[in-house]
Amino acid sequence: MPTLSRRDFLKLLTNGLLTLSGLLGLGAILRFLGYVPETRPRSEFDLGPADRYPVGSRTPILSIPALLIHDESGFRALSLVCTHLGCTVEQQAEGFACPCHGSRFDADGNVTHGPAGAPLRSLRVEVNEAGNVIVYLE
Amino acid sequence: MRRLLALSSLLLLLSLLLAWWQASRAPQPVALTPVLTGETEYCLTCHADLPEISPSHPVDVFGCVICHGGERLALDPDLAHSTLRGGANPSDLSVVEASCGGGNCHSGSEAAGRDHIQRVMTSVQSTYTGAIASIRFTFGAQPDLQAYLGIRAVTDEQTQTGIVSLQAFDPAAETHPMIQKFGENCLTCHLWAEPRPGQAYARSTGCAACHSPLLHLPSGEGWGEGKIHTLTTAIPYTQCNTCHNRGNYNLRTMTFDERSDQPTTRLQDYYQPIAQFVRCEWTLDCVDCHTRTEAMGDGDLHPDQASIQYVQCKTCHGTPTELPRTKTLTDPEDLAFKLAFLNPVIDLKLGDTILVTETGEPLWNIRLIPSPAGGGAGGEGILFEMYGKATRQYFTFRPVMGSGCTQSGEDQSSSYCHQCHAVERHAHP
Repeated sequence: MPTLSRRDFLKLLTNGLLTLSGLLGLGAILRFLGYVPETRPRSEFDLGPADRYPVGSRTPILSIPALLIHDESGFRALSLVCTHLGCTVEQQAEGFACPCHGSRFDADGNVTHGPAGAPLRSLRVEVNEAGNVIVYLE
Repeated sequence: MRRLLALSSLLLLLSLLLAWWQASRAPQPVALTPVLTGETEYCLTCHADLPEISPSHPVDVFGCVICHGGERLALDPDLAHSTLRGGANPSDLSVVEASCGGGNCHSGSEAAGRDHIQRVMTSVQSTYTGAIASIRFTFGAQPDLQAYLGIRAVTDEQTQTGIVSLQAFDPAAETHPMIQKFGENCLTCHLWAEPRPGQAYARSTGCAACHSPLLHLPSGEGWGEGKIHTLTTAIPYTQCNTCHNRGNYNLRTMTFDERSDQPTTRLQDYYQPIAQFVRCEWTLDCVDCHTRTEAMGDGDLHPDQASIQYVQCKTCHGTPTELPRTKTLTDPEDLAFKLAFLNPVIDLKLGDTILVTETGEPLWNIRLIPSPAGGGAGGEGILFEMYGKATRQYFTFRPVMGSGCTQSGEDQSSSYCHQCHAVERHAHP
C-alpha cells in the first residue's frame, strides 16, 4: 500500500486549500456581480383586453391603485392615492373617502372635504396594438 | 513562496467562512417602502408583529422611521436602534418636533389646526407653572403668585394672557430647603417627566402620556406591563389617573403620599381626593366632558390649571334659566366632524345639533335628539344623547331648564351640585 510522504501531504493540502479558496472567491465574485438591486416600482400596468371593461364600467385596480373608468368618451383612470398623505382612498356611493384623515372626493376625484387640497390624479390610459388597456403612473 | 501562498489561501478561506457564517445568522430582511418617504426600511424584519399604531398612521404610508428615526437599513438591533428618537417614545417632548412635528404634521399654524405641539409645550401639563409659583410664593422665593417659572423655558410670542415667557425652574438654585424638596419629590406629574415607579403610575412622556393608554388587564390584576403600540383620542379615565388620582402631595413634608387603598370598583377608583361624586363623574371618562383645549392647552401660557379648565356642570346641563349652548352643523369642514372621524363613536351628519362649550369648542359626542314636537323654549321636550368617547356607552339626559332643579345657575362649584346629586360611596378600607 503506497504511503503518502509528509511532503506530498502538505503539497496536497496546499493545493486543496488553494483550489477551495479560488472556488469560494470565484463564488463571491459571481455573487457580487449577480446582485440585483431593488427594482424600481412599476410605472406601467397591463390590465388585459379592453373588452373586459365594458362602457359604463368603473373598475378598481388595487395593484396600482386606480379606478379604471370606461365611458362614452373612452378609457380614463383616477389614482386612488389620497393627495393628502398617500393613503389609498375607498370608493363610496358619492365618490371616494380616505380612511386615514377623512378627505373626501366626488366621483370625478375633486375634493369635497379636506384635509386633501388637490383632486385625485388622472392617469394616462392607452389601448395598445394588442388591444390591451395600459395604465401609466408617470 | 509557496508556503506564503498557502497561508494566504488559508486566511482567505477562513475570512470567507466567517463572512458566510455571519450572513447565515442575519435575518432575511423584510423590506417596506412607505409612500411618504419612498425610502426602503427593514424595521419590519423584527417588528412585523407590532399592531398598526392608528388608522391615521398606516404603516404602508408612514413606515416606522419617519416617526421613530433609527437606522432604516440596519439588521443589527443595536445599530438599528442607535439613532432612535426618544428611545421607544418619539413623542417625548425633547424630540417631538422632529417626530410628530415633522413635515408640519402636528406642528404649524393655529389657523391650519396644526399647532398641537406648540399648544402642548405651553400648556400647564408641560409647564407645571401654577404649582411652582404656589410653592415658591409660599416659601418666600417670589413676591406673588405670578407665573415666572416653568419646567422648561418657554415663550409665547403671540400671548393672549399677558404671559410672554417662563424661565426654567431649577430646584438646585433655590435656597429654601422645602422648595428644593418640592423639586426632588413633586415634579413627576408633568409631560416632560418620567413617571414615578410603580404600575399605578406607568405612562409614557410627551404625547404618548395621554394618547397611548396602557393595556388594562381584564382580570382585575391592575395595569400590566401595558405599553402597546397605539395612538388614540379614546382616552380612558384610567390613563388620566396615572397622574391625577394616585395620591396626594403632603405639603408639610413636601413628599408624595401614595394611595394605600386598592380600589376594586369604578366608584372607588375614581378621583380619590373628593368624597362625593355625581353620576357623570364616576360613569363617564374625563375626556367626555373636558375638552382638547383644557387638556392640551390653547397655545397661550397660563398661570395655573384653573385658568384653562373651564367646563362646568352647566356647560352640558344648562341652568334653570338657560339652556346649554348648541350649534347646528352646517359646514362639512367643522372641527366636530374631524374629531368624530378620529374617534367614530357617533355618526355626525350635516344638520345635526351638538353641544358647544362657552368658548365654542364642540362637544361633538353630545347631540340633540330631534323631538317630533320640537323642544320648548322652557326646556321641556329637549333631550340630548351622548356617546362615551372611550367606552362607547350611550346616555341620554335632559337640561336643567324645565326640570324640578332649584339651583342657582351662578354657583357651579362641585360641592354645590353634589348637595343634591351626589352618590355616596363607602369609605375606603
